Order: sequence, then C-alpha cells, then structure tokens
Amino acid sequence: MAIGVLLKQVPDTTAKIGVSEGRVDETAVSKWSMSPYDEYALESALRLKEAGGEDVVAITCGPTRAAKMLTDAAAVGVDSLLHVLVDDLSALDSTQVQSILAAALGRADCDVVFCGKQAADTNAGSTGPGVALLLGASCVSHVSEVSPDGGGYLALRASTGGDERVQVSAPCIFAFDKGDEELRRPNVRGIMMAKKKAIETISPSDLGVSLDNSRVTVVSHTPPPEKPPGQKFEGAESVATVVGKLRDEANVI
Amino acid sequence: MAYEALDFYDIDALLTEEERMVRDMVRDWVDKEVIPNIEEACREGVFPDKWRVDLGEMGILGAPLKGYGCPGLSYIAYGLICQELERGDSGVRSFASVQGSLAMYPIWDFGSEEQKNHYLPGMATGELIGCFGLTEPDYGSNPGDMITRAEDKGDHYLLNGAKMWITNGTTADLAVVWAKLDGVIRGFIVEKDDPGFSAPEMTGKHSLKASVTSELVFQDCQIPKDRILPGVKGLKGPFSCLNNARYGISWGAVGAAQSCFDSAKEYALSRIQFGHPIASFQLIQNKLSWMLREITKAQLLAYHLGNKKDDGTWIPEQISLAKMNNVDIALEIARMSRDIHGANGILDEYPVMRHMANLESVKTYEGTHDIHNLILGRHITGIQSFTREP
Ligand SMILES: Cc1cc2nc3c(=O)[nH]c(=O)nc-3n(C[C@H](O)[C@H](O)[C@H](O)COP(=O)(O)OP(=O)(O)OC[C@H]3O[C@@H](n4cnc5c(N)ncnc54)[C@H](O)[C@@H]3O)c2cc1C
Repeated sequence: MAIGVLLKQVPDTTAKIGVSEGRVDETAVSKWSMSPYDEYALESALRLKEAGGEDVVAITCGPTRAAKMLTDAAAVGVDSLLHVLVDDLSALDSTQVQSILAAALGRADCDVVFCGKQAADTNAGSTGPGVALLLGASCVSHVSEVSPDGGGYLALRASTGGDERVQVSAPCIFAFDKGDEELRRPNVRGIMMAKKKAIETISPSDLGVSLDNSRVTVVSHTPPPEKPPGQKFEGAESVATVVGKLRDEANVI
Repeated sequence: MAYEALDFYDIDALLTEEERMVRDMVRDWVDKEVIPNIEEACREGVFPDKWRVDLGEMGILGAPLKGYGCPGLSYIAYGLICQELERGDSGVRSFASVQGSLAMYPIWDFGSEEQKNHYLPGMATGELIGCFGLTEPDYGSNPGDMITRAEDKGDHYLLNGAKMWITNGTTADLAVVWAKLDGVIRGFIVEKDDPGFSAPEMTGKHSLKASVTSELVFQDCQIPKDRILPGVKGLKGPFSCLNNARYGISWGAVGAAQSCFDSAKEYALSRIQFGHPIASFQLIQNKLSWMLREITKAQLLAYHLGNKKDDGTWIPEQISLAKMNNVDIALEIARMSRDIHGANGILDEYPVMRHMANLESVKTYEGTHDIHNLILGRHITGIQSFTREP
C-alpha cells in the first residue's frame, strides 16, 4: 500500500494568461506550477508518511512539461513518480481524467489519496469526489489537516458551523483546502535525490482506460474585462466621497 | 506578476535540470522572503536571522565545495545562486559569498582535517557564521602591506591589529583572519569568544544596508596553536578566496541588473507622458535596448567563465574581467533604470535606487574596478603598475 497524491500542473497564479481565438494560449504561459491546493495536499501526504505512514506516490495526468512538477515533488520528499502522458488535457472531460487517475491509483496500490479541492486553472472541483466514486472510496473535502487515528484517519475540515473533525477509514480521498501548515521548501540534498528518481511514464491505454469521445466540451474562453483604472483622492474634504464609494461601489463597508 | 528573468540568448537551455531546480528554489525563496522584507531590513540595518536559517536549510552555503557536509554543486549552480540572491539584494548575496567563498573555502582548501571536520558542517547549515578579515583601515587595495601581526608564543598565537569593512563581522561565530607571522601572511581562525577579540559594527552606510559590516579588533588576542591554516602562505591564501567570491559576484551583478531592467521595462510600459507610454519613445527604447545588450553579454561572460571554473581551465585575470565588467554594467543599468523611473525611481517602492546604492559597494569590494584594470594591464603588458617600486 502507498499514499497517493494527485498533482496537476497549471499556469502559475502570477503568470499572465492570454486568450487567443477563444482559447487560453498555453504556449504563451510564462510559468507553470503545481496547483496551489495540491501543494497543501502534498505537504499533508508527506507529513502523514513522516508520522509512520506508507511511501508517497505522486501521480499526474498531463503533457510532457508536467514531468518537471513531479521532479519538484520528488525534491521535497515524494518516493515515486507516475506520469500518465496526455498531450492535450483540455480535450478530455473530467470523467475521463478521473478514470485515468483512478486506474493509476489502482496501479500504484494507493488506499489513501490526497488531492487539491480544485485546480487553479479549471476550478472544477470534481477530481476528489469523482475519483472516490470510481474507487468506491470515501471522500472528505475542504480538508486542511490529516492525522493517523487508530486504524484510520482524522481529518480537519472547514464547515459552515466551524471546524469539523471527521474520522474516516481507508479507502479514502482527502480533497485539500489551503491549510495552516507551512509548505516545505526543497533543498539541495532533495534536488540531488530528485534528479536520480525515475518517473514512470505511461499512457492511458497502458492503464486500460479508453478515451472515447468526451461528453463535455469547453466551448470558449474569454478574458475577464479589464480592471477600471484606480482612483486617487487627497485631503480631508474627500473623506465623504471615499466612504460613499467604498459603500456603494466597492461594497466593502 | 511573476518575475520573468531576462534571458535573451536562452542560457536556460544550457543548464542542467539540477542547476535549473536550484536556481528556481532560490528564485522562489527570494520572491517570498527577501523582496517583501528587504526594505524594512535596510531601514533597520539588519540581516534578518531567518534568512541565515533559510539559506542553511536550502543547503546552498559553500555551494561548490564538496564533502564535509557541503553542497558539492557545480560552479554554474553557484553562479545562479548568486544571481538570484543579488536579484533580491546585494546584501544577501554578500552574506552567501562571504560565508561560502571567503570563510568556508579557505578552511576547506587550506585547513587541517580537524579544522574541516570541526567547522565546515556547521557552516554549511548556517549554524556557524564566518567572516573574512583582510582589509585594514590603512590597507585596502594593497593588503600585502597589512599591519596585523601574529606572534608564536609557544603554546598559543598572539594577534594584534585591526581589520575594517568586514562583512558579517559582528554576527560571525568565527573569523578567518589574515595576519603576518614572521613577516609572512598566514590565515588564522579566530572565534568570537577568544580573549582580546572584539567586532564592533560599523554604522552609517548608504549602501548594503541589510548587510552587517564591522571592524575586527585584536588586542593581545590569544588563540590556540591549532587555529592556523596549515595549507597556505602569502597573499595566495586570501587571493584564492577572492577568486571564488569575485566569480560569484560576476553572476550576482547580472541578477541586480535583471531586477533593474525588469522594473524599468514595466514602468516604461505603464507610465504615460505626452499622451503615450514612455516606452514608446525612442530615447527610452534605446536605453532598454542598451540594458538588454549589456545584460546578455554579461550573462554569456558569466556562463562561459562558470564552465571554465567547472573544468578548471580558468585564469584569475578572466575572473577580474568578469567581475569588473558585470558590476560596471549593472551599476550603469541601475542608474539608467532609476532615470527611467523619474521621481518614482528614488522611492523604496521600486528596487532600483537600492540596487544602485548597493552596487557602489560591489564596485569597490573584492578588488576595486580599477584594481581589476591594473590586473588586466599587467596581464597584457607584463608590467605591473600597482606601485612605483619595480
Ligand atoms: C560594504 C563593504 C563590505 C566589505 N567587506 C569586506 C570583507 O568582508 N572583508 C574584507 O577584507 N574587506 C571587505 N571590504 C573592503 C574592500 O575589499 C575594500 O574597501 C577594497 O579592497 C578597497 O580598499 P579601500 O576601500 O581601502 O580603497 P583604496 O585601496 O584606498 O582605494 C581608493 C581608490 O584608489 C584606487 N586605487 C588604489 N590603488 C590604486 C593604484 N595602484 N592605481 C590606481 N588606482 C588605485 C582604487 O581603485 C579606489 O578607487 C568591504 C568593503 C565594503 C564597502
């Protein structure tokens, strides 16, 4: 058995996103990074391992460039790396991606799985619950912390009523929110070890997943409207105007 | 907006994956820890202790040294580390240069086995801070005439004299001090609690404000006999350290220049005057294109020198050229960038004035700009012109 962590490479949240011909122009993305919630999932998976858990397997489904993210994960301590190579992720719908990930988790023999609650590019939020459904596993979402508890796990999650502690046993999936844990940084020793770590690269068909026509298609992307320019006010006499604007236009007071 | 380092000739493609990962690790750290805190550190005149801890945890101190807990990275990786640190602030790069090239390196190259085992592992993790005492109040460019003396007192050495302008001096746990023993320059390891040793901080700097600069005072300072570096005599000792640090500076200067270029480009594109972005005016474009040209040349120089450091085919004069050139163009780029920012250029909201002031120190330390000219002049003509004596 192993701890699985599902990682997705997305445009860095600080990178400029350009849309050309109704599509996000991936070739113009200056920086690709691990999706931020996945970083918390990874951190928590590594902590679970350190608390006496199994080895951690990082799994991604994506194009060749996503391999770099797996190596980055190895640099902070992931034990093995599995890359399901799919050149154009946007051609698949979420059920197809979930089938691939579920099969990959089966291959890596994972019964406890960590992922982000949503990816920063699609914001779909379907991976955790979808994969859980296919695996017949329990899914706890919006989790910020997981610790071993008897034979199972104790997860801390935000709920409308405040913090909620959930006891769950394997097989289970934790879909992570931003946690309070400080994310570990790589170090030179980790990088040197990561360099030696092989990435197992396979195709969806190696997993026995056939990709029939996708049932959901993203029709187009449009960039958000440009932000109106900032406004500047000076002097005590403008206080009333500013307060008015904060109340009526910005809705912050 | 994510920082996009200028890399016009795609040097990135020449790096190994390991070098790229180390570079990205340091770049991220600088974005998260240095840039948001640097102005406060400068205002208070401190090098935050967290930075020491982080640098140690990342495992980049003494980057190219092998064994004794040191990272064992390539010289290219060491250069990239310096570039990224100095993109944040020259003071951070100074800390790493002094620790790695000026304090760890002499122990690693000239120290006894016991000294290496005793000091290097702790220095690599940042638990022990080192400094390098060569310059004296009256002897800067010509350290060969230094006054600081060591006397052999049988069961110990006695040090007398003073060093000045010593980076990390006050915060250091140990100092590698160069002093004359029977007229010959030797290296000594002085620990912070040794009797007769003090390291008062120098204040009032307009440059490298986030870096600690100190005097080292030795007044009948007693150190045990096993603190002499056995492996080197004469100016070769300090100069070998300087070669490594100067090499790192040639990359560091590129980082500072990249930061100034980045800021100038963004500013020029968004600042509207006479109804148009100032970036649309030919004079501004000429400045930006000059920056691009000089940064690209400086990068190629540093990268090529890095390969020569890695395969051992370098000569010190090549390091002089790279240090001199790259700091020179970085300083000029900082000034030009400051100009493009107009009045905003003097504010701490932009990094340019800070880089500009920092680079004035960088131009002077590790061999002044003109001392490197003289080193090259001697190389070309075979005639030394440092002093009038033959
Ligand atoms: C912030 C900072 C940190 C430093 N950190 C350290 C440190 O950690 N350890 C350390 O040992 N030192 C350190 N130094 C000292 C630095 O190395 C010296 O300042 C440098 O070597 C120059 O010496 P000087 O300041 O005495 O200038 P001088 O040698 O007095 O030079 C003054 C001017 O005269 C020129 N000049 C000198 N000789 C000649 C010549 N023969 N022909 C033509 N021109 C000449 C120089 O180029 C310069 O322009 C630091 C300096 C600074 C500013």
